[in-house]
Amino acid sequence: MDYVLTILLPQLLHGLVFGAALGLLALGLTVIFGLLGVMNFAHGELYMLGAYAGIAVIGVAHSFWVALIVAPVLVGLVAAVTEMTTLRPLYRREPLYGLILTFGLALVFREGARQIWGGDMRRILPPFTGSTPLLGMTYPNYRLFLLAAASVILLALWLFFTRTRAGIVVRAAVQDAEMLDGLGVDVRRVFTLTFAASGALAALAGLLLAPVFTVYPQMGVEMILLAFIVVILGGMGSMGGSVVAAFVIGVAQSLFSLWMNPQRVAIAIFGIMIVVLIVRPRGFFGREGVLE
Amino acid sequence: MRRVAWLVVLAAVAVAGGLATAPALSQSKVVKIGDLGSKVGVFEGYGKYQTMFMQMAVEELNARGGVLGHKIEMISEDDETKPAPAVRKAEKLILQDDVKLLVGAVSSGATMAVMDVTKKHKTIHWNAVSCAEFMRTTKFHKYYFSNQPDSRMQANGLAKYIVDKMGKKVYIFYTDYAMGQSDGRQFKTALEKVGGEVVGVAGAPLDTKDFSPWFGAINQSNPDVLFLAFAGTDSLRLMTQLHSFGMTKKYKLAGIDCFLLQQDLPAIAEPMEGFVQLAHYSAFNPDKQMAAFNERFKKKFGVDGNIMAGAYDAVLFWAAGVEKAKTFDSDKVEAALEGMCLDSTHIGRQCIRKEDHQVVMDMHLYQVKGGKNLPIARLEGKDTIGEPMVGKDPVEGFTWEIKKKN
Repeated sequence: MDYVLTILLPQLLHGLVFGAALGLLALGLTVIFGLLGVMNFAHGELYMLGAYAGIAVIGVAHSFWVALIVAPVLVGLVAAVTEMTTLRPLYRREPLYGLILTFGLALVFREGARQIWGGDMRRILPPFTGSTPLLGMTYPNYRLFLLAAASVILLALWLFFTRTRAGIVVRAAVQDAEMLDGLGVDVRRVFTLTFAASGALAALAGLLLAPVFTVYPQMGVEMILLAFIVVILGGMGSMGGSVVAAFVIGVAQSLFSLWMNPQRVAIAIFGIMIVVLIVRPRGFFGREGVLE
Repeated sequence: MRRVAWLVVLAAVAVAGGLATAPALSQSKVVKIGDLGSKVGVFEGYGKYQTMFMQMAVEELNARGGVLGHKIEMISEDDETKPAPAVRKAEKLILQDDVKLLVGAVSSGATMAVMDVTKKHKTIHWNAVSCAEFMRTTKFHKYYFSNQPDSRMQANGLAKYIVDKMGKKVYIFYTDYAMGQSDGRQFKTALEKVGGEVVGVAGAPLDTKDFSPWFGAINQSNPDVLFLAFAGTDSLRLMTQLHSFGMTKKYKLAGIDCFLLQQDLPAIAEPMEGFVQLAHYSAFNPDKQMAAFNERFKKKFGVDGNIMAGAYDAVLFWAAGVEKAKTFDSDKVEAALEGMCLDSTHIGRQCIRKEDHQVVMDMHLYQVKGGKNLPIARLEGKDTIGEPMVGKDPVEGFTWEIKKKN
């Protein structure tokens, strides 16, 4: 019992915290995949821009909470402009064009951030410190907040996609954009707004995780690989699948760390992905026709 | 009257001529030295203080007429804390700038890579902070000198204190590259030799952002003491995270000398309270020599000194070697430095051991109290330096395997 409380439970909490944040990142990625049919390689950079935008806003407003609202909006605007000026002309072309474009955009955003803010690591202080005694262990308050905030946001997104007309329109666009166009919906507007919201979501994840992971231009690259694995495991284009897979990866990564050096856990995560894809080639909740 | 006027004109011409030729003379008699280290990134604090301490030595020497009548000019380069740029910059300093002394680097991996360059170009190379155990053993070459207590020296002094005063069961957590691996290995060896038990070991990559995935395994091992071999911003993050998980209160803490610089301590005083380390210098050591040195440094830069003070001695030793050899020739300076003792170092009299060019350093065990490194015991240099092992493998037979005790 002692082992469960002092060893397993904290690791499980680490996993849930990380999984929830990863879910935020992966959800935007999977929606964009559904819309464009390509992985958005620049998604990690939008996550990184969220953290840097947070630093900029905190510098002016001196408030983490203000930054938590303003920074995602700013990055959402950047994403919207990017979609309208670069991605839109490529929608009728092969998906490969979009893939190469987002790869290029990732480089531009990353090097742009390096030029503006420099290559040094930066810190964002958590809005509150301290720890909470929890079932005989001690857990940092900010990480508990992170778990709660990410879970609430994921729940809100689920309600948005299932209970609101706008959410259903986005899901319809993900399923079949041409059909939606035929029904008279302004699909271009849906694409732009969805891309902007996906960028804002990535930025929100970036800023929420910044006090834990610190901020540097490469931070998106390190996270995006895991987010890709999450999207593949969840089933390409499946939103619910991505959230489930994010928690599976987060918890698995954390628990494996008890028995192997966390540096080697990445190998185990790839192992899980291979096994799942052998047993279920479409991932947890993949739909027919995607990448087939 | 006319004669007086002529004399005035002549004197003016002479003065003007003298002024005109003076810079030309001083310019022709300049000797350059190189300062190589991390100026940005995870170890930037160490690199920046290395520059400051070298600058202090250069200015003091130049105020006394330089070395062999040459004004000393220092050139600083950033090695990005990586071996490849360190090699590139070392080549630049030696071949382009013609430095006669190269001090650096900061990271052990970079320093070892630079040793190949200084060996090839026969340049006096001084290490003032890197602590991997290979530099004065398998990688050693005759132009290499060090006044940094390496992993073996630190482990020899610290292990016994930990077993006697802090606890026998120790978990070793290290940064997984040359420096941390070396510290972990040497500490494990020394601890087991004095009857301690290593209950777990783990390495985390350099520049790890989140250490929490490692904490479960540490708690699982249930140690008395956490031995931490990290440095720079890694240490800052690690301590902040250990503290937020309640682990700085749960375990006693010990670590390497360069874990954090004095400047970082006040901001992280609470997590660091009680942390024990073995080092050659602290700004808060009441020792007269150290206090006087710190006073000079503080007057110049407005901040307290730290363990990078070894870089000051590096320049002083080299200058003394040049004066003794009466030449900048590396072979002759190297011969002059072997066995040399100097009274004016940051901690007083120190001597270079002939066999492996390691400075024999008296050190103190320090404990952090209220954000200050305060001495708790003094150790003689001869008791920690260990036998010379030039050309021998210092980790022969070593294994990371945990020997469980009943």
